Formats: sequence, C-alpha cells, structure tokens
Amino acid sequence: MNLKQSMLIALILSLLSLGAWEMYWRAQNKLPDLDDNKDLWAVQRAKAETLSEDGVILMGSSRVLFDIQLDQWENETGVRPIQLASAGASPLPIFHDIVNNTDFKGTVLVGVTPGLFFSTTFPKAGPWKRAQSRVDYFEDRTYAQRLNHWLSLPLQKNLVLVSTSEEGWSDDIDLKSLLNNFNSGDRTGKPQYPPFNTFAYIGQDRNNPMSEKTATDTAFANSIKAAWKFVIMGNKNPPEKEATTNFFVADAKKFMERGGNLILVRCPSSGWIKEGEDKFLSRADLWDPLVKATKANAYYYEDYDQLKDLECPELSHLSATDARFFTTELVKIMKADGALSNSKTN
Amino acid sequence: MLFNSLSFVVFLVIVLALYYSKLLKWTGKKRMLLLASYVFYGLWNPPLVILLWISTIVDWTAGNKLAIETNKKKRKMWLLLSMFVNLGFLAFFKYGNFLLENFTLGMNALGLAYEPKPMDIILPMGISFYTFQTMSYTIDMYNKKIKPARTFLDFALYVTFFPQLVAGPIVRAKDLITQFYEEKKATSQQFIWGTFLLTIGLFQKVVLADTMLADVSDEVFGSKDLLHSLDAWTGTLAFSGQIFFDFAGYSTCAIGIALMLGIILPDNFRYPYASIGFSDLWKRWHISLSTWLRDYLYIPLGGNKNGITRMYVALMLTMLLGGLWHGAAWTFVIWGALHGTYLVIERLLKQKINVKINAFNGILLALLTYTLVNFTWVFFRAREFSTAKNMISSMLFMNPEGAKILHDFDIIKVLILTSILFICHWIMRNTSMKEVSQKISPLVLGIVWAIMLFLIAIAQGSSEQFIYFQF
Repeated sequence: MNLKQSMLIALILSLLSLGAWEMYWRAQNKLPDLDDNKDLWAVQRAKAETLSEDGVILMGSSRVLFDIQLDQWENETGVRPIQLASAGASPLPIFHDIVNNTDFKGTVLVGVTPGLFFSTTFPKAGPWKRAQSRVDYFEDRTYAQRLNHWLSLPLQKNLVLVSTSEEGWSDDIDLKSLLNNFNSGDRTGKPQYPPFNTFAYIGQDRNNPMSEKTATDTAFANSIKAAWKFVIMGNKNPPEKEATTNFFVADAKKFMERGGNLILVRCPSSGWIKEGEDKFLSRADLWDPLVKATKANAYYYEDYDQLKDLECPELSHLSATDARFFTTELVKIMKADGALSNSKTN
Repeated sequence: MLFNSLSFVVFLVIVLALYYSKLLKWTGKKRMLLLASYVFYGLWNPPLVILLWISTIVDWTAGNKLAIETNKKKRKMWLLLSMFVNLGFLAFFKYGNFLLENFTLGMNALGLAYEPKPMDIILPMGISFYTFQTMSYTIDMYNKKIKPARTFLDFALYVTFFPQLVAGPIVRAKDLITQFYEEKKATSQQFIWGTFLLTIGLFQKVVLADTMLADVSDEVFGSKDLLHSLDAWTGTLAFSGQIFFDFAGYSTCAIGIALMLGIILPDNFRYPYASIGFSDLWKRWHISLSTWLRDYLYIPLGGNKNGITRMYVALMLTMLLGGLWHGAAWTFVIWGALHGTYLVIERLLKQKINVKINAFNGILLALLTYTLVNFTWVFFRAREFSTAKNMISSMLFMNPEGAKILHDFDIIKVLILTSILFICHWIMRNTSMKEVSQKISPLVLGIVWAIMLFLIAIAQGSSEQFIYFQF
C-alpha cells in the first residue's frame, strides 16, 4: 500500500475538482456572498450591549432589512445603525430582548410589516420562532461557534463553492440543496413550494440591498412574487391584533420610560400584496391603534409624497436604488420632525 | 468543538505543529495535549471543564489510595467515593430532570398536588463517556487488574485526551495510559492513514449522515400524522443509516486523529449491520460501551455463572441500564429492553436450534437482524411514545391509508443508500478497511479519497453536532 502516492493523488484531484467547481458556478453568474445566518445576526446583536444613547438599532422584518440602507442612514445622521431586522420574522421577540436584556436607551426603529408584526405571540409559530431562535442563539452561542463564524467569513467572501444558507434558498449550491432540486415525483398531494431564489446580497454588518437581477429581470422578480403568493395564500391564520399589540406596547412603554426613542415605520409594498394588506390588515385596524397605544413617532410611507409612489419590483421590497432614496428621505423627514438627532451637526 | 468545523481544522493544525516541533520534550508535549484538550472542551462551555477536573482529581486520588491500601473496607470506600462522584454527576446533570419528572408523576398519581419548578440543567457534552472511562480506571485498580498511572499528567491526559473525550471510544486505562509513558510519534504511514480515517469519518458524518439522511429521518419522526408504511420504513431506515454514519464517523475521526499523534485507539464499530444475531451485533456496535457494560455491569451482576435465570436477569438489567445510558427517557429504556429481549430469545433459540451459517442463510439472518434492529431504532429516535407507537404500527403495515409525506426522490435515495450500507457491511464483515485498502491500487484509493474530500467540501453546512454528544 503506497499511501503517500494515494494522498498525493487525492490532494491533486480534489484541488482540481474544487477549482473546476468554483469556476463552473462563477460561469453561472454566482458571486461569493455572505449568509444572513444566526451568527451574522448575533455579531450585530452583541454590539447593542455597549451601544451609547446616540446609537440606533433597526428591527423588523425583511422590509426594514431591504429598505433601510445603512450607508445612507450614516451619511444623513453620522451614525451607522445596527441592523437586527430578520426576514420572515416578527420583530416582537427581538424588541423584547433589547428592552429587557440591555440598558440601551438610544433610538430603536421598528418596521411594521402588518402580516408579520401582528401575526402571533405563540412561541412555536414560525414568525415568532424565527426571531426568538436568533435571540436564543445570541445568548447560547459557544466560543467555538464564534470562532467558526469568524473563520468562515473570509471563505464566504472569496469562494462561491462554500456559499450556503440557513434559509435554504432554491439556488443554493451546497450538496444538500443540489440534491433537493432532484425532488421530482410528488406523492404527498400537498401544494409544493415554488422555486424561491435569493434576491439580495448581505454585507458583514447586515446591510442588505436587493440584487440588480431582481430589480431588472421581470421573469426573476415574478418567480419571487410566485413564492410570496404561495406563502401568503397558504397562511390561514388570522392576525392576533390584541395579543401582539399588548405585548409590544408593554415593552415600548418600558423602553420609552427609561428614555429610549421609539420610531415605528411602515415600509412600502405594491400590487396585490399592498391590496391584500390594505384590505385584510388595514392601517385603520392595526397601524393606527398601535401608534396611538405606543405614542411613538410613527411614519407611514403613504403619508409622504416623495415615498408613496415607490414600487417594489417583487411587490414587497424596494430595489437597491429606491431603498437608498427611501432611507435618505425617511431620515430627512424624521430629522425635520425631531424624531432623530443629527450627530454630524450636533 | 466539533471535528466538522473550521475551528477544529485550525486547532488540529496548531496541535500537530506543536506536537511535531522540536520546541517541546515528551512531557511538554503531553502538557500541550492536555491543555489543548481542555481548550477543545472549554470552547463549548468553559465552566464545565471543572467537572472534568473534579472527576480527574477524585479518580487519581482513589486510584493511588487503592494501589497501597490493603484494608478491604477502606478499599471499598475509595471505590464508592469514585462511583458516588461520577455517577452523582451523571445523576444530577443527565438524569436530574428525568428523575424530577417521574417523581412528580408519582406524587400526582398518589393524589398529591406537587409541581416543582423545572431545574433547567445543562447537559455537559460527553459526560457519559468520560465518567465511564475514568470509573473504569478506579474499578480496575480496585480489582487489582492494572497498576496506577505513573504521573498525574498521564492520568489527566487519559481522562481528557481530546480525540475521544466527548463521544468515545471509551478507552480502558491499560490501553491508553501506558501509551503516554514513552514518546509517541506517528510513522509517515500511520500519519497518512490517520488522515485517511479522518476523511472517512468526516465523509460519513457530513455527507452521508447530515446531507443525505438526516432530513428524511427528521421529517418522518417529526410528523404528527399516522404515516404510510413506506414513509415509516424510509424514515426508520434513514435513521439507522444516520445514527451509524454519525457515530461511527465520530469514532473513525477520533481513531484517525489519535493515529496522527502516534496513539492507537481501539475500534468501536465493525460493520454492525451485517451482524448475524444480537450477540454478534453487540460485538460490532459501540464495542467500547458494550465491553464496558459486560465487564463492569453484566459480570459483576453474576454473568452466566449463577444459573440461567440469573443470567437472563443480568442480561436484561445490563441492557436496560445500557438504554438509560443513552438518554434520560423511557423510550431509551424500551430500546434497551428490546435489545435485552432479543438477546434472551436468541440464547434460548441457540439452545434448541443449531444452524450452520453459510453465505446464503448468513445474509438472510443478517437481513433479519437488521430488520429487527430497525424496530429498536424507532424507540431510540422517537421523542414520545405516541410517535413510536404510530411508527411501529405503520411499519407493520397496519395503516394502508397513512399519510404520504416523503417525495419519491427521498425514498429512492434512502433505500439505495441503506441497501449499499447493508451490502458493504456484509462484504466487509470479516475483513477491515486496512486490509481492503492494501489490496487496491494507490490510484483507486487516491481517487476514492479525492471524491470524499470533494463531497465534504461541497456539502459543508452548519456544522451539525454529533448525535452521541448528548449521551
């Protein structure tokens, strides 16, 4: 047995095949990308522990993640916010964590996507569980997990072949995702999830602009719309207006009493998603009572001429260009209102 | 720290660099290995390293006292001290919640309203492994089977040696401590073979267990529906593959890493799914635990020396406690009871029927054994009895209208993989990986090795924890 020879062959062949794999996926227009996983979130959450009164924390669902761009916010205010918004999740567990587990009394901006914000307070329900699992991970993560994340960042930034996602996007290229794409032949009789590809690129500080392809390729944007239809139409649970509002208001009161500045923001939506939200999760039924109960500074995009006509390419999030515009204008409005101070000039 | 993680790659490179550098002499290398082992464990939860220290100090002291003490009563006291501390850790950390739950149930059954606060105890990773390992030292010292470790460093390293610390193999003192007395250095053949074993172990864990099988098993055992037979069988077969690849993968990694340091660890698995009968299975599955239970539980309970009835009682007790060792739940006890029952029935049958094993009936008997093993896995994997009951009824074809939750591809994938697993185990039944690799050309071995490396690299995921860490 000539093990040295075998090892040499194994090393050469595996390096060659991995190189070919990397080139193949780059030729398919894949780019190295970070995964918006619980580690990336936890690193930002950790920053909240030592944040001063000038600090800003953003939370909410994917609309805040896409629509508030950190560079523009920083340009306008001199403060780079901490992005804690979590896609597909209720912001309530995260706000609860910040209010009850930190002394932070700066600014918290909470995005109100009605279908998620008012969805539930049931711990096992998806929107709650997704957010709470990140909070729990932040508290429980081991030193080994922190080290793994730190070591993985340069690999994620430079190699396509290591790209994978906690979310499980249809266009992931790890072995399990590729095998799942073979999943032909359905015997379950249940509706099948349409292809749901990733449509943003996230940075190390979780700044998350929409991909150019989503904004410009209508067919691709339509595939995301089909996924929204599947998710939204499949959800038969009515909103838990009273429970969610009460839960949030209790935390809001505590936060504002200690000097915290709470801002509520309703980001744009378009097309049938907006129509559905207006009809079944209306402003009058949900947003207005929430604003009244919290007494927080509140901004509904339709109240502002410069924001009300913004169109979402896939009906729920702004393109990167529009998100930059939205952020700049929103911050200007908030500053004019006195809801935000300007560290740059102060 | 997990073997299938980036931090471990960096850790191993640093350890190997220091181990093979000329900066340190043998004692220094052992100190470095000990420190590295504490880092390996502490990166998960630093305060729990204290438990390792207490176990180490108690058994080191007990061992030294047993080496010189002649008074029988005092010797027994030292042994009991070791068992009290180690089993006490296990009782508190692993079985605390379970005991409290059952106590509460008992009180409530007696009509006494009692509702204690949950204890919320964290389970120290691998506690069942290192407590059993360190106890074996003291028990062997008590039975005068071994000599005490020469130095505290040797003993501490024996308790804490990082390759096998959290999920075995559970190594006996005579097999490991003595290896620390003289300087160890892997030959180039050993080092490369160790690297190959590490690759195979990671391939089993990352590619076969986590990527190919875990999701199907999770979906089936997580379902609240009464399932169709095909789904129930597929889920159970997937788990049978997952648990094997996960655990054997860890052991293979451990053996490979130790070999890279020139330390030899015993085999823990010998192609168990080709076992012919359950006595054979327990000589092939988690060998280090089954021999531990045999030597320190079954034989002290009387073994086969006190008549047939006592032997069966000892056998059942051993398997019941073996089940409980795996987890603090009644489902694990049932798993142990089923294995105990199988063993008893097999011994009874062997007294009446004498079958000469050949290739044809051998593979049929192996298939029968594997089928029966799958029924036991249902109790091992199910979190609730209701799930296990539903699964068993579906596997017995009692629910023809059961829910179909798996896709065609998942079923085909699991059936192909577990068939290959069974056939490979049958082919390898009387040989070893080393023997096979010696017969094939370096080119073929290199290609197989490269395929495994490639698949590990593209399957990388979220560093799933090894199942046996929780035991």
